[in-house]
Amino acid sequence: MPAELCPPYAPFFGFAGVASAVTVGAAFGTAKAGIGIAGLGTFKPELIMKAMTPSKGYPLAAGFIHLGAGISCGMTGIAAGYAIGLVGDSCVRAYVHEQRVFVSMILILIFAEVLGLYG
Amino acid sequence: MGYTTYASFGLPSFLVIIVALYLLFTDSGEAFDVGRFLEETSPFVWGSLGIGLCIGLSVLGAGWGIFLTGASILGGGVRTPRISTKNLISIIFCEVVAIYGVIMGIVYSSKLQTVPEAQLYTRDNYFTGYALFFGGLTVGFCNLLCGLCVGIAGSTAALADAADPTLFVKVLVVEVFGSVLGLFGLIIGLLMIGNAKEFLPGSPAVSAIRI
Repeated sequence: MPAELCPPYAPFFGFAGVASAVTVGAAFGTAKAGIGIAGLGTFKPELIMKAMTPSKGYPLAAGFIHLGAGISCGMTGIAAGYAIGLVGDSCVRAYVHEQRVFVSMILILIFAEVLGLYG
Repeated sequence: MGYTTYASFGLPSFLVIIVALYLLFTDSGEAFDVGRFLEETSPFVWGSLGIGLCIGLSVLGAGWGIFLTGASILGGGVRTPRISTKNLISIIFCEVVAIYGVIMGIVYSSKLQTVPEAQLYTRDNYFTGYALFFGGLTVGFCNLLCGLCVGIAGSTAALADAADPTLFVKVLVVEVFGSVLGLFGLIIGLLMIGNAKEFLPGSPAVSAIRI
């Protein structure tokens, strides 16, 4: 890997991707009651960390790719967490009135969880 | 649009555009160089900022959670004094979040070794500096949210316990899941720092190019 493609500040963007995958997903996962989403949001970092070792060349392009991957992971975590939170809230209210919505409630929650998995 | 929207979004973006256009039109567009900024700031800046954020945000989260839970326990304890001892476990969950931050602060600060300025700017030291910054940010932010989550759940547990003693254990399960968030942050923080060596002096031959 030629030296000018692997500047020493490339890991900055890789680490930013890792941090955004964890924190952005955890933020909205918590806020909207999707603990599973917060967990999903934190699984990505292992893959990025394997690519970043100081001795091997880490191209700047790879740093930006990991930044994008981390941000996309985190943003889908927001979407899934938000969806699950709102759906869960209205599901609980509906369940109080009408017991039979339980199965459809679980199905809706599973579909919302899949949004996080796409990330 | 309110005044706060103008202040928080309008004014900063206006200033950024003015500065960018000024640089562009006075032929000093090359002065905006992210790579040079990242290469010229000392790895000690990144490392110290990361450790500060780690402990600071974790303690902020723990404190927030404790005051949320404590207020509910004390309020509910006026009418039902039996809840006060059992619900202290929620306070302990919040405290654990601060302890995670302290542990990571201690682990990270072992990487900060004294290196003379002339031998500081090596690839490995840059890597460690960035790892410390983002690791500390991740751990601190995760612990902040964990403390908030456990605080809200603990407050709900106290009030549910005051209404009906059988509900306490059920809401406690929610709180346990919430505290797992802090543990996630700790694990990711340790993973990030796994490949980073502590600050070592480099010979001039391995130093990165500095303008």
